[in-house]
Formats: sequence, structure tokens, C-alpha cells
Amino acid sequence: MEVSLTAGAIGKIMSGEVTTEADMIPVLQVTELKQLKAYQDPTRERFRMGLSDGTHLHQGMLATDLNDLVKQGTLQFGSIVRLTHFGVHVVQTRRIVIVRELEVIKSNSDIIGRSVPGGKHNDQRVADSGVKLNTTGSEQRGSGVSQVNNIETGRSNAAISPQVDQRPVFGTGSSVPASTTPSTRVDSNPSAGHGVPRLDHARDPPTSYPRQPQPPPPMYANRGPVARNEASPRIIPINALSPYSGRWTIKARVTNKAALKQYSNPRGEGKVFNFDLLDADGGEIRVTCFNAVADQFFDQIVVGNLYLISRGSLRPAQKNFNHLPNDYEIMLDNASTIKQCYEEDAAIPRQQFHFCTIGDIESMENNSIIDVIGIVSSISPTVTITRKNGTATPKRSLQLMDMSGRSVEVTMWGNFCNAEGQMLQNLCDSGGFPVLAVKAGRISEFNGKAVSTIGSSQLFIDPDFVEAHKLKDWFEREGKSVPCISLSREFSGSGRVDVRKTISQIKDEKLGTSEKPDWITVSATIIYMKVENFCYTACPIMNGDRPCSKKVTANGDGTWRCEKCDKSVDECDYRYILQLQIQDHTDLTWVTAFQEAGEEIMGISAKDLYYVKYEHNDEEKFEDIIHKVAFTKYIFKLKVKEETFSDEQRVKATVVKVDKLNYSSDTRTILDAIDKLKTGDGSSLSINIKPEGSHYNADAVNTGTGSSGTRDPSSVQRRDFGLHAHQSGQSGNHYSSGSRPHGGDATTTSCNVCGNSGHVSANCPSSTTEPQGQYMGGSYRGTSGSYGGGIPRQHVGSY
Amino acid sequence: MDTSSPSAFVNGALLRRFIGQKVRTVIQVTGSEIGSVVGKSTDDLQIVVRGSSPPSPLTTYLEVIGIAESDNAIRAETWTNFGNTFDTQNYNELCKLANGEFKHLFI
Repeated sequence: MEVSLTAGAIGKIMSGEVTTEADMIPVLQVTELKQLKAYQDPTRERFRMGLSDGTHLHQGMLATDLNDLVKQGTLQFGSIVRLTHFGVHVVQTRRIVIVRELEVIKSNSDIIGRSVPGGKHNDQRVADSGVKLNTTGSEQRGSGVSQVNNIETGRSNAAISPQVDQRPVFGTGSSVPASTTPSTRVDSNPSAGHGVPRLDHARDPPTSYPRQPQPPPPMYANRGPVARNEASPRIIPINALSPYSGRWTIKARVTNKAALKQYSNPRGEGKVFNFDLLDADGGEIRVTCFNAVADQFFDQIVVGNLYLISRGSLRPAQKNFNHLPNDYEIMLDNASTIKQCYEEDAAIPRQQFHFCTIGDIESMENNSIIDVIGIVSSISPTVTITRKNGTATPKRSLQLMDMSGRSVEVTMWGNFCNAEGQMLQNLCDSGGFPVLAVKAGRISEFNGKAVSTIGSSQLFIDPDFVEAHKLKDWFEREGKSVPCISLSREFSGSGRVDVRKTISQIKDEKLGTSEKPDWITVSATIIYMKVENFCYTACPIMNGDRPCSKKVTANGDGTWRCEKCDKSVDECDYRYILQLQIQDHTDLTWVTAFQEAGEEIMGISAKDLYYVKYEHNDEEKFEDIIHKVAFTKYIFKLKVKEETFSDEQRVKATVVKVDKLNYSSDTRTILDAIDKLKTGDGSSLSINIKPEGSHYNADAVNTGTGSSGTRDPSSVQRRDFGLHAHQSGQSGNHYSSGSRPHGGDATTTSCNVCGNSGHVSANCPSSTTEPQGQYMGGSYRGTSGSYGGGIPRQHVGSY
Repeated sequence: MDTSSPSAFVNGALLRRFIGQKVRTVIQVTGSEIGSVVGKSTDDLQIVVRGSSPPSPLTTYLEVIGIAESDNAIRAETWTNFGNTFDTQNYNELCKLANGEFKHLFI
């Protein structure tokens, strides 16, 4: 069949009229097809095609997912293709066609017409660094057929002649970045591998492997008779920077400068520092300098000043540390230059923020980095938090509120406590409500949602921004009286949500087996307490504000030695270590209670009890006390964690807190649970055959989401499903707990047996079974769906 | 435990369903005379309890077990002082559940 190529398509592409398939879907012929190897990723090949419309020819790159077409031979030299999804990217006046999808109309065909390389002739090429296979967007293909062959070999002919129509060569043939710049220099950075004909050498051009911590020495040193154009560098916007950019210069203001850090990694030691830049277009990028370069520039850089920076290399940004909205970061080397601009440029802002409202924070993911601004409604003094490893860090928290009507706790760590923290404290104490802007704060899920500072955070007090003024105005007018809903809960001793569970759930849900311990609350009765070893001798030496409490060993002479503190003491503390067996209506388990909980349970201090038993040998009194403990019901807050004891995994539960059972509130909790059961899936009467199985779903199962505390049925359902996801064991029975999708109708009950509403399966006229006296409240809801009439157990014939 | 004559948990509204049957309820005492005690049920309806030997002194809350005579009167056989603090809302919910959805668990 005769296929005709879209005449003039290439011309249009070159002129910019056509940039994507939305403009035109051209039919072109492949007049060249070459495979390029990416040295950085030799497993991936890239194919470069010469696309012709019969009169003009242009280079295009094939997206790697289309590679198979070439391999299978569908797409070959002479194929006529229709570009169904492509993009023409302009990078520094060069156009590169990236083909993402195409249709092969004819695999094999004679070449139509005589095409010449059309479009822009880029006479100059500049070799770039940091060529990455995957950054398709910035791949460039220069025109210039004659140089095509050089690409793969990685040769640079630049050294041979300054001819500009030589293609610059890059070790990584995958994309031959060739950008035009006004300069006649062929190569702006050593990565071009100039003069290095060997592939592998070219493979390791100094700055194109930005992963190395130290910039390799520049390979070129004024090689080649090319004149370097130092004068009047073109300033490009930060957002246009890419690894394929040629020689670039940016003019920007330093918004943040980090300290000079020493590091040592397997490759050796070094030092590094980084700073962030912001330019007139709002582009931001981080600049990193290592070792010698760091020394060179560290003193030069001052936050707030404008600098012209050129000749750095680009590499992908490390999102862990770099929270700027740029995919790349700059690495400077010896060839880079930083020049300060003394004349002010008002176009370049001092700082740029992307504020979110506090209301948004609620829905954001944990650990995301954000900027936020608000009014400080309260601030508390610095406290010192001792971490497990013993280091003490200052921490200060404040409440920040904004126009969304929500407030959140902002936690400052380290230096922020003293510097900004103190200032804020002073302002607040004197009755003011300062505006605080936080840049790069991290969202944490501690006590609901909170924002905390990280190393690279910045705090601005009463800044001079539009948003700050707006906030202040709002606050004056209404903010003061508007009640703010806090996203962060008050810091309670344990800070956990009260997750009510039954003891059987510990086993069923395999609590404690994941990496982190599980914190749950159970309402149970103590049925037995081990009398032997109810306490141990403990070290009384204070470590910060807590006693060491490690077990001390007797030295024989009446003194006691603590290994951790490495000291001996005359008098040791006695601390409880009670092994208790607790039971609720579902199951029983052993738990360990330490000092605080122990005292609460026993009603007497460990030391006194020890004396009663051992010193006074008052058996009767001792027994009395022990007996009183048994069969007392409490609310236990447990920390459940799986531990390994010589090859065996055992789930251990520690009592963190003990509360006397308040029947009234406990009953309310249970009533709520019952309600939830009802709204969740009608009246679920799944009876569990296994004795331990019947348990009720806890109230707030998902600790992270419950900040607003609403219990609307739809959310209940959602949460339950989440619960089901990790509930194991019972699934055998739970099938169809026959729930009718109730969708929040709390009042009608539906029968599992016949599916009608108005009665429950026990009363169902069609059922002849007797309801069993088991605790019906426990329903293990299977999946939600509407299993009309699937009944858990009895298979009464009628349905 | 003697389960020969179970009594249904009722509040004011449910009492009428059990006329002639044995019921139990907790009332908040509002007044007492010889032979009868008047109180408020957990759902705020007035209940009169007749019978011999109410305990004295009466605490605020009183549980009575007896036969329901009408929709607001009970002939009590057993009286128990429940103290001065009592969560009426919980009890009310209990009555509703015990006679509604979970009736099969009780009687």
C-alpha cells in the first residue's frame, strides 16, 4: 500500500509549530536506526532514529519501552511510522524529539525522497555532563548527520579541531546531549571526555558521575584550541537546568546555608556543605560542595546575597535530604565559579515558601516536608528529652494556628529551642501572638499530627510576607476568639490512642510481631501473681531525671554494684517486677508489671513489701496483701512485643499503666462498641465456634487516623476493613458474616439468615436454630459485601 | 443460682410490655411513703413501687424486682439499695438492648 509521509512535518517540528501529537500526528520514515549504549547503564539500550518526512530529516530518540519493536524487527531501517505520542523538547534552543508511542505502518520500505538534515543546524555543541539514561526529557539530539557515527564511540573530536560541527562526545551514548550555547567552546566540563577515544575512559568523566563524593580532577585542561567564552555568560533560569545543559550560569540568592560537615564513609573522609538557591523565576536548587571546593566556597557564601554561579554539574536530587522542589541538585567542582552580584536584584525574592494551611496538614502524609505559617497561640519552655542512647536534646513545643481554624503542635529541636524558641517565648510572654513561618518542617504522627523541625528547617518570626500580614489581620479580627481544633493531642504520658482489645486479640492479631511494639488497652482481672521474685534489687543512681534501675549485684559486703553506672552503692532500691496472669472474657495471658504499675496494683511499695516478707518475715501479712490483689479488675495498658529468647519467639506484654476500672465509663465504651457493631454490618451474629474467637472490634483501631474522633458509620466501616486486613486466624469462620451493607443505618437491624430487616437471625422466622448464649457482641466481620443471607454457622435449610 | 423466675430489665417505657410478669428496674427515689416508693425511671418516667419492706434508709437509687402491675407501677418483692451514684444512661441502654436486639441473651 502506498503510504505517504507527512510532508513538511519535520520542518514544522523544527520550527516549533509541532511539539506534541496534539498538534499533529505525522507519518515519517525511519531513515536511520542506531543503537546506543548507555555506559552508565549498559543493560539498557537506546535507539536513535533518523526521522524523515521525505524532504527533511531529524533525529529522534525512541523511548525504551519501544525497544522491543526494534529488536523484533518490526521497526527497522526504512520503516514507515506514525508518531502517536511524542514530544519535542527544547533545551537551550535545540529540539529533541522523543517518541513515546508509535505505530509501525510498514516495516520495510524503500526510502522515500531524499531527506537532508533539516531544522536547526546547531553548529556548536557543547558536551555536557551527567548524562543519565532515564532522563528522557532532556535528551537532545543534534542534527548533523555527519557526526552521527561518532556518538557511539564516545570520541571527541573536539580536540582535533575546533570545528563546531563536530559533535561533542559523551561517554554515555544514550543521549548525546548537545546543546547550543553561544560559546564556541566545545566543552564546558571535563565529562565530555575530550580527547579520549576509548570508551571506557570516556565512561568516567569527572563530573558526570555525581555520585562520587569527590569531584575527580578535571580531565581537560585547556585542551584544544577552542576559545572559552568567559564573557557575558547566559543566565538561565534554575528550572531549566538539567544534566544536559551546556555551560550554564545562574543568578540566584542564597536562601539557606548549611554548616560545613565532616564525614567519613568507606571511600574515605571528607567535608561537605550545601546551600540553597532561589532565582527570579522561583526556581530553587541545592548546591553541594565537597572537600577542597567546600573550603573554597564556604566562606564566600552568605545567606541573602546574590551570586552568579556557573559550571557546576547537575545530578538528581537526593530527596531524603533535599526538600526543594527540583529534581536536580548542583555539585560544584574546581572549575565552577561563584561570583557575587553586588547590585541588588529585586526580582529575586529572599525566600520562597509553599505554605500549606494547617487544615491541609491533617490529610498529609507522615514524614512529608512542608512549609507552614501561623500564629503562635502558646509556647512552652524547653524541656530536655533524653533519648534511649542517653543523649539529651532540648525540645520545645508550641501551638500554631491559622485561618483554617485548626492548630497544630510545632516541635523545635536542638538549636531552634534556644534561638528562635526563646525569642518566641519572650514575645508570647509579653502578651503578643507572633507569626511564625516554618520552612521545611516535617509532619509527624506523634499525638495526631504535628510538625517538627529537621536539620534543614528554618524558622522565621514575624516575617515580612503577605501571608504573615494576612494572618495577623485575621487574628486581630477574629482569630483570637475562634476556637481552634487541634490536630495534635495533648501530650499525655504515653501518648497513645486508647486501643481497646481483648486478650484473645493479642494472639489472633499477632500483636507485637511487627517491628514496632503494639500498645493496647485491655480490661481484665488479675487471676494469679507469681509470688517468688516479685521485686529485684535496683540501682538508685539518677541518670537525668530517672533512676538507672538496672539490676545491681551484691558485692558481698553489703554494697551493691551497678554495671551500667559502673558504681557501687550501699543501699539499693527495690523495684517491682511482677509476673501476673490476667484474664478477660476471651483469654488469659501473662504480663509483667514494673515498678509504677506494680505499686498501683499491690498498693504497697516494693521496698515495704520486701521488708514485710524477708525482713520481718511476716508471712501472714504478706499473704494477705497478695490475696487482695487477686481477682481485682483493672484497665491495663499493655505494650506487646515479640522477643527472641534463645531461638524462640515469644510475645511479651508489659504493663505500662494500670487504672482502676471505672464501671461507668467502661460500660460506655462497651456500649459504643455495641453500637458500632450494629452500624457496621447490621446485627452481626457471627458466632465463633472457637472459644477465643469472639471478640469485639475495638474502638479506635487505627491509631493514626483518629484525630477528629468522629465515629460516623462510614468511617467505621472503613476502619474495620483495615482491621480485617491484618486479622488472621479467624478467617475460617468469617466469611460471610452475612452483612448486609448497612451503610450507616444504625436503627434497622437485618437478619443474617433470610436477609430481611426488622429482626435478627435469632428471631428469624425462617430459622429454626436456637440462638446460642455466646457473646453475640463479638462479630468478626468478614468482608463487607452483601452476602445476602450467608449465615455463619448453622446451615438452616431455608436459605 | 435460682433461674426459675427470671426478671426482665425494664425502664419506664418497657414496663408496659411486661405487665403481669416479673421485672426489675432501677429507679431514682423521688419520694417514699408507707408501703410505696415513688421514683423516676432511668428514662425519666415516673414509676410507683408498692410493697412491703422497702429498705430504710433509702439511698438515692433503688433496684426493685417484682411483678409489673401497670405501665407505671410495680409490686416489689425485692428491694436493693444501689447507692447514691449510678449511671442511669448505661442502665437505660442495657434495658433497651436486653429487650431488643439481644433479648435472646437474657430471657
